[in-house]
Amino acid sequence: MAGYRLTYANVNRDILRTMEPPGKLWYILLAISIAFVALGGFAFATQVRYGMGVWGLTHPVMWAIDITNFVFWIGIAHSGTLISAILFLFRVRWRAPIYRTAEAVTVFALFTAALFPIIHLGRPWYFYWLLPYQQVGGLWINFRSPLVWDVFAVLTYMMVSIIFFFTGLVPDLAVVRDQAKGWRRRLYAFLAQGWQGTDRQWRHYTAAYLFLAALATPLVVSVHSVVSWDFAVSILPGWHSTIFAPYFVAGAIHSGLAMVIALLIPIRRIFRLDPYVTQTHLENLAKLIILTGLIVGYSYAVEFFIAWYSANTFEQGAFLYRVVGDYAWGSWIMIIFNAVVPLLFFVKKIRTSTPWLLGISLLINVGMWFERFIIIVTSLAHAYDPYTWGLYKPTWVDLSITAGSFAWFGMWFLLFAKFLPIVSIVEVKEQLPPPTKAEMTAGAPE
Amino acid sequence: MEVNRRDFLKVLGIGGAATLTSCSAQPPEKLIPYLIPVEEIIPGKATWYATVCRECPAGCGMLVRTLEGRAVKVEGNPDHPVNRGRLCARGQASLQGLYNPDRIRQPLLKDASGSFKSVSWEEAEAWLAGRLAELRQRGKGSGIAWLTPHTTGTLDQLIDRWLQALGSKRRLRYEPFAYEPIKSANRLAFGLEAIPTYDLESSEVIIAFGSDFLETWISPVMYAREFAAMRTYEHGRMGRLIFIGPRLSLTAANADQWVSVPPGTEGVVALGMVRVIVTEGLSKAVPKGKVDSIKSVVNRYTPQFVSKATGVEPEQLERLARRFAQANPGLALGGGTAVSGQEATSTLVAVNLLNYVTGNVGETVLFGPLSTLSRLSTYREMVALIAAMQRGQVSSLFFSEVNPAFTLPKAAGFEQALEKVPLVVSCSSFMDETTAKANLVLPTHTPLESWGDHEPWEGMHGLMQPAMQPVFQTRSLGDLLLSLAKRLGDAPAAVFKEENFYEFLRARWRELHQRVRPDVEFEAFWVEALRRGGEFKELPARRVRLNVGALPQALKGLELPGQAGSLILLPYPSINHFDGRGANKSWLQELPDPMTQLTWDSWLEVHPEDAKRLAIGEGDLVVVKSSHGEIKLPAHLYPGLKRGVVAVPIGQGHTAYGRYADPHHPNALDTRVKERGANPLTLLAPEPDSRSGGLLWLSARVTLTKTGTKYLLASVSGSDRQHNRGIAQVIPLEEITRGGQEAGHPTKKDHPVRQMYPPHEHPIYRWGMVIDLNSCIGCSACVVACYAENNVPVVGKEEVARGREASWIRIERFAEGPPDRPETRFLPMLCQHCDAAPCEPVCPVYATVHNSEGLNIQVYNRCVGTRYCSNNCPYMVRRFNWFTYEWPEPLHLQLNPDVTVREKGVMEKCTFCLQRITDGKARAKEEGRPVRDGEIVPACAQACPTRAIVFGDLKDPESEVSRLSRSPRRYRIFEQLNTQPAITYLKKIVPGPKEI
Repeated sequence: MAGYRLTYANVNRDILRTMEPPGKLWYILLAISIAFVALGGFAFATQVRYGMGVWGLTHPVMWAIDITNFVFWIGIAHSGTLISAILFLFRVRWRAPIYRTAEAVTVFALFTAALFPIIHLGRPWYFYWLLPYQQVGGLWINFRSPLVWDVFAVLTYMMVSIIFFFTGLVPDLAVVRDQAKGWRRRLYAFLAQGWQGTDRQWRHYTAAYLFLAALATPLVVSVHSVVSWDFAVSILPGWHSTIFAPYFVAGAIHSGLAMVIALLIPIRRIFRLDPYVTQTHLENLAKLIILTGLIVGYSYAVEFFIAWYSANTFEQGAFLYRVVGDYAWGSWIMIIFNAVVPLLFFVKKIRTSTPWLLGISLLINVGMWFERFIIIVTSLAHAYDPYTWGLYKPTWVDLSITAGSFAWFGMWFLLFAKFLPIVSIVEVKEQLPPPTKAEMTAGAPE
Repeated sequence: MEVNRRDFLKVLGIGGAATLTSCSAQPPEKLIPYLIPVEEIIPGKATWYATVCRECPAGCGMLVRTLEGRAVKVEGNPDHPVNRGRLCARGQASLQGLYNPDRIRQPLLKDASGSFKSVSWEEAEAWLAGRLAELRQRGKGSGIAWLTPHTTGTLDQLIDRWLQALGSKRRLRYEPFAYEPIKSANRLAFGLEAIPTYDLESSEVIIAFGSDFLETWISPVMYAREFAAMRTYEHGRMGRLIFIGPRLSLTAANADQWVSVPPGTEGVVALGMVRVIVTEGLSKAVPKGKVDSIKSVVNRYTPQFVSKATGVEPEQLERLARRFAQANPGLALGGGTAVSGQEATSTLVAVNLLNYVTGNVGETVLFGPLSTLSRLSTYREMVALIAAMQRGQVSSLFFSEVNPAFTLPKAAGFEQALEKVPLVVSCSSFMDETTAKANLVLPTHTPLESWGDHEPWEGMHGLMQPAMQPVFQTRSLGDLLLSLAKRLGDAPAAVFKEENFYEFLRARWRELHQRVRPDVEFEAFWVEALRRGGEFKELPARRVRLNVGALPQALKGLELPGQAGSLILLPYPSINHFDGRGANKSWLQELPDPMTQLTWDSWLEVHPEDAKRLAIGEGDLVVVKSSHGEIKLPAHLYPGLKRGVVAVPIGQGHTAYGRYADPHHPNALDTRVKERGANPLTLLAPEPDSRSGGLLWLSARVTLTKTGTKYLLASVSGSDRQHNRGIAQVIPLEEITRGGQEAGHPTKKDHPVRQMYPPHEHPIYRWGMVIDLNSCIGCSACVVACYAENNVPVVGKEEVARGREASWIRIERFAEGPPDRPETRFLPMLCQHCDAAPCEPVCPVYATVHNSEGLNIQVYNRCVGTRYCSNNCPYMVRRFNWFTYEWPEPLHLQLNPDVTVREKGVMEKCTFCLQRITDGKARAKEEGRPVRDGEIVPACAQACPTRAIVFGDLKDPESEVSRLSRSPRRYRIFEQLNTQPAITYLKKIVPGPKEI
């Protein structure tokens, strides 16, 4: 495809082609996703029927992969806003072809993450008691609880992300509308909200988009900071740490970037989007991963250093347990996959090689999942009183709900890939020279 | 748990009836349930009945709390001389006997096919009377045998007279632990075949030779109380306990020193001590002539000789002997299954001699009043009965509340002999291994439904009254026997004038009244006895003389060295299940064994070194084989054993004792658990000890073979060690006598506490607790009391193994020191009701909050179950309802109506017995006064046999809890976290290096 020249017409055609009626593979993948979502739903129904006891959670490990999944998905949600909002504000040109996917990842990851605070409740049917409304008897929520902060942070982030995602989509939806027929046309006409591409509309659109980007940017930092306070505000050794907010934000972006790479690579292949999402784009993401990986590695080192330096039996106990205790294998996965493996990206050959990119970004995602698992489970398993030490072992419910959450995310993403333009038509065009009359008459090269 | 209107009314009706019994003193059967509420009954207001606990032979006094006609809680009777208001875990669990879902609900008759069918009482009695009449016609009346447990007083007399009326004298009072060697040793040494009473409280030094007096030996609650009293630190001194025996039992763990010796050599140590004492001239109150003859008897037991036989260092022996001789007075105790080999009698004669030369006989060893356990039948008599059964001389066997098919060695052949008995009648409340073999089962009342009396020692008459209407169609054994006598024709009927057992009991008490209190009206005497729980009279002690001449003969057999090479099996009575009778109570199954921390099981304790030699690991399923049988048990590595000894708790391995004891029961709690526990009696030799007639508990030599299977042991302990976290702290005696605040750990009081939020205000009360670790013996009575009081659910073995046991209070057990010389520390852990509680701010919905009296409140209705509070609790005392736990009928009748039953998904924890606080405050308010100190007692503190837990108002500087919390021994757990707990712990006092 070398030498392929991008023109307005090509862009329209190439991107809209991705929305053509799906093939067999798509249906198979969607069916698998829905099946796993159903399995997760069944597991949740079992939990509601019999109680939280069907999970592997126990005393003292009262949180485990439920909260691991929550934090993991919140983390995944970070790349989208980073790429779309922050890079937008910094006018980073290479963001254009990838930000739509990144934003979709954000929105769907949030859809997934938001399930867990409800699922993990002992009485999930009362989840709305965590919302700030005047409840029976004048009851109010406890603003000192980080879980309440979570509700605010996550809901805010989700709303802003959805609006931002949607706003960016409007001009593209108009393109889709113009090409669509039948019910699709009516649907996209509604979604495009009467977009005509007038100057006035463009003026308002760019202003709104800038404003939303500015609004979303601090959320990148705040959401995961707040999530990290779920742990940092507690008094548990291994959780109670001032480094948690930056450490978690960096970790979130780390995993988010890796997830975007991991999704872009197959998309690029399947939908033949190489001219749009180029090796340079992926390489730039890989470079960012080097940065976040270094921050994460530094954070790990600081945690262990402080535990040693504090001369505090409990801190030392918690961190020693992490690396030599029952879950030491998980800790080593976390340290190697998150802090060591990404350093390979320093080698240009590796960060420009698609298989390496895909492999490493998947490893980072595994590593980041384990990071949350290790922080949550090992700290609880070996807390203050040795008499209460205990182990967590997942049951089929834990695993089904986890699998269901991945399938849930995948299901949304599959739908997205067929119903919305996965690359921003408008922004890609913005970076192209406007078409000239000569070109129009000569026709675009195939 | 649902109670519908009909159930409620039924219960209310019963309530009226039961309450009436206390004033009109009529047997409950005769009462008419009332329709209009009696003024005396106020729903929600408890009525208390005094009775006697019959869960073990000790006979503690008990008060039964009844609400709306059902018993919901039992507590110790403060007026009762045995236990003075305390009660052990097994006593607390007696309620689960009363409401046991596997109680026999009506008479059962075995049909031709060998299965039981339910019959009416009329049918059952008529059938039995017919069979008995037939026997008597055929002249086989003398072949009727009666087997009861330790029974005293009126019922005992009734059974004897009933048996006489039928022309038989075959009557055995059978207890698996019958203390035969104590009796034979006392006969040999003092000419009195009896069990004395012991005064632990006045002793300065106690040396226990194998007797687990804090767990199961004779009268554990009384001894625990007295032990705690003698251990109290006063004027720079406190009592000391030395334990000599092969296993670190709970009693040994509470000793200042555990001297581990091979089983059977305890007597050698005792004689070695006697020798040191008499040769160094330290003996007291012994005539010169006797000293010399004793000297000659013990002359060969030089410290070197003892050291060779037992491994006790000569210097240590001398130190022990001197310390014991200095004590004024001391007390040497001996007995228990650890001292029950062929040398048991000699060992106990040696202990007698040790007591004698130190002047303790008559001081702390009191022959008068004698324990009524002296009247128990010996194991030899049981063996004789079995032989008679085998020979067909027993025409009919009646038994009540004994389970010899389980508690006798399998090789004794009881079950085979039982098949030779044409008529076997069980009068029991529960189906068990023996009852399952009966032809006729006549279900009797549990003690909580019965009239009766019990005499633990001479002159100590405890009175039993029914606390409520019978739960099922059962009858009291006394009534049953009287009614049978009536049916058996004129001669037997003429023996008994009384209509029913209640009248019979009153008649006996009339006689007692004539003897002890003829000055008062009988009715007044009777009502007073009902109220106080009995008639307690002090009896003077008898003097005994040492029979020196018999000593050389009496002490023979001690020289035998232990057999090397094979492992010696030490079966020991479980603190939870005793001889197995506690195994059908779910609280006792779920209650961790204090030493091993294991639940719902029995196990094989193996010394880690022995295990290493045999390549056995923790939880390996092992075949334990003796020459008499084999059982499969999981191995538990236990450093508290003499090498070469393996130990197994007695009490598990039931096959027909209800859903909690028998894993194969159709209604078993945990269907995932296929096998659970085994009965070590399968392994024992059937021959009785030739000298004492007792069972040779130490008779089995066993070999272990690995099966290759791993077995799930449900332990509640995460770690045996404290990892230097200062949870259970100790203070050496010298340090405390040096005195002052400095002696203790620096307290946070010296640092100003800085907080962002204003301090909590406690305008009237601030509830707090002090737990004295020097008193806590780890017996876990508090744990079961809490289960009973607070409707704490039982979760089952699998769930316990996962860490989901629901107990609000737990006894943490930590081992310190080298593994072979462990120093055990017990620590009751419950919600600390922190002033700056970490659980409170993290709850998003305010389900856990601080109240104005300093309590940390859990609002069940509001809890959504985020479980963050538990994660943030440094003490990990919060418990989560993983499921909606159920109480199988009729166990739900035990639920305390003052406490919410929680549903799945909510967090719970200790409330400091909020319902009792509310009740106490309401009472005070009614009387227009503030709450008095000591008026409100949470269930744990109430039960504690050693009074280790004190509760009260911290705002009152004069309250006991305030006074104790200023002790120089005070500390709070994890004080550095600034949680400001409302519970202050007092450090355990340990002997300094120079002591002992």
